Amino acid sequence: MNIARRYSRIFPRISQNKLFSSEASINSFEIPQTFVNRNPRNLEKLRIGYKPDGYHVEKAGKIYWHKLLINESTKYVTASIHHFKNGQVLVASTSEWPIKKRLYRYNDVSACINLGRVLGERCLKAGIIEVSCFIEPNNPEGRIANFLKAFEQQGIALKEPPQYKPSRPWDQFRPEKPWEVLD
Amino acid sequence: MSLFSLLKHSTFNFIPKYVGGFEINILRHGHHLRGAPPGIARSLDQRMEEINYKDPELHYRVDIGLPVTKPDANVKQSQLKTLKMVRKDMNMEKESRNQTLRIDLQETNEDWLTSNGPMHIKTIADHYKIFEHLFGDAYFHPVVPMKISFLSTDVKYPVYFGNIIKPSESVVKPEVEYSSESNILWTLILTNLDGHFTDNSKEYVHWFVGNIPEANVSEGETVVNYLQTFPPKGTGYHRFAFVLYKQERRLDFSSFKIAKESDYSLNERTFSTLDFYRERQDDLTPAGLAFFQSHWDASLKDFYHTKLQMKQPIFEYDFDPPYIRPQKWFAKRQPFNLYLDKYRDPKQINKEFLIRKLKNVHPFKDAPPPIPFPNAEPWSKPYIPSWLKLEITKSRLKWGRINDIE
Repeated sequence: MNIARRYSRIFPRISQNKLFSSEASINSFEIPQTFVNRNPRNLEKLRIGYKPDGYHVEKAGKIYWHKLLINESTKYVTASIHHFKNGQVLVASTSEWPIKKRLYRYNDVSACINLGRVLGERCLKAGIIEVSCFIEPNNPEGRIANFLKAFEQQGIALKEPPQYKPSRPWDQFRPEKPWEVLD
Repeated sequence: MSLFSLLKHSTFNFIPKYVGGFEINILRHGHHLRGAPPGIARSLDQRMEEINYKDPELHYRVDIGLPVTKPDANVKQSQLKTLKMVRKDMNMEKESRNQTLRIDLQETNEDWLTSNGPMHIKTIADHYKIFEHLFGDAYFHPVVPMKISFLSTDVKYPVYFGNIIKPSESVVKPEVEYSSESNILWTLILTNLDGHFTDNSKEYVHWFVGNIPEANVSEGETVVNYLQTFPPKGTGYHRFAFVLYKQERRLDFSSFKIAKESDYSLNERTFSTLDFYRERQDDLTPAGLAFFQSHWDASLKDFYHTKLQMKQPIFEYDFDPPYIRPQKWFAKRQPFNLYLDKYRDPKQINKEFLIRKLKNVHPFKDAPPPIPFPNAEPWSKPYIPSWLKLEITKSRLKWGRINDIE
């Protein structure tokens, strides 16, 4: 199992002082200078992971870690969460039997509201609490608008924070580090 | 106007190289295309696909889990019957048309776990690289749904597939529920995939219960006692995975047992799921999966000191250094002070800023109040060069390098 360089490389800030005598303690091993976190979602959660930048003239819908997609067919509605690299990672559809059998119609406003609730719940369970959404509903009382409302009510933000870029010595300001705000 | 100057100022590109026996090098300042034109050249996506291509003969994955049950023909019949019932339900039609129909999420979820759920959970687990880091090139569908929840101050914190549970919420070992056929033994292992301090390919085992009769986890043989999660500060989110294995027979796990006095020894808790499974693959089949993520919190300082008996390690993310182009002897059109500062030791620059600051600091008196209108301060000398004026203004406004020492 090889570990690529793109994983988080983390250095200790303070050296290990001899607070605990090495003979008496159970964990007397020396902690190395670098620590590698293999979690592929870690850096994205900390806001420092790579996010495709695109070009300033590019059409919206390219800059995201996770984004919400809705596909309406003539009979069913399918909503999914896409990752910029891994593609579709979560999906909910009114054609799924557990949802379908509880609905009267599969692509009306009620179906969309319930689909939004189900997908929102699955996102929370999968630890995805922020997704980019580039869908703009035409009708504010239509199916898509109701879907987004129900999805948001489950506790998911429809906007992702920008990628944190480290401040350089010549920069004007030093923005707060997101992982220090969390503490 | 001579021929030479005429050529030099001409806008034509097709000038011959030799004119009148002299060689003239004319720069072409027009539009240049590097490589093939857009219609013919491959796009970035195509090129990335080519670079990331993996030969399916060499890179394939093996399903090591229990088979996923497929719905048979009778199910289709009963589904049609249910749909007909729904069509006749006047109440449901009314609710649907009035947009008040709300399905029961819990029931839907339970149905989903026994139908499409295993496939969906496998996808999201792949997204978190759970299988790759547990079993290498193998995967399984979690066909046995597990209900796992931590209990902390009378609040339940359930484990699903990637949700976040803080260390202070996972102090006590969780309750585990699943459905089992009779006379079957199970093994449940909780490991941390990201927390190992010394070897990245290894895990720490947090809980190991073997030979569980049916679904009574408390009656199983506790091989490794439960240890709460302890992601070190600054290392971000760690993945903790519960894997439930179905046993073919009673197994001997004595080699994994940890003595009571070394229960908090991290060396003893070093574990590799891949090695563990490889040795026992004839007797074990992974059947259930649940995982969560955990992040450092303030409750861990005490845990490191009293339980693990070590100093709390603190890490910080190491960003790649910025690219600074090689220094030139004669850097044209560059502000000399800013340009030279880029090639100096930043520690020395910070030291100079600090010395300048300490000049105005009195050891016993309070620090002077901040300047209310920094841009309206008079200059100390009648003549100060403009670059230095700018530097002083920047420091007064707390812009730039002064932030490194403040």
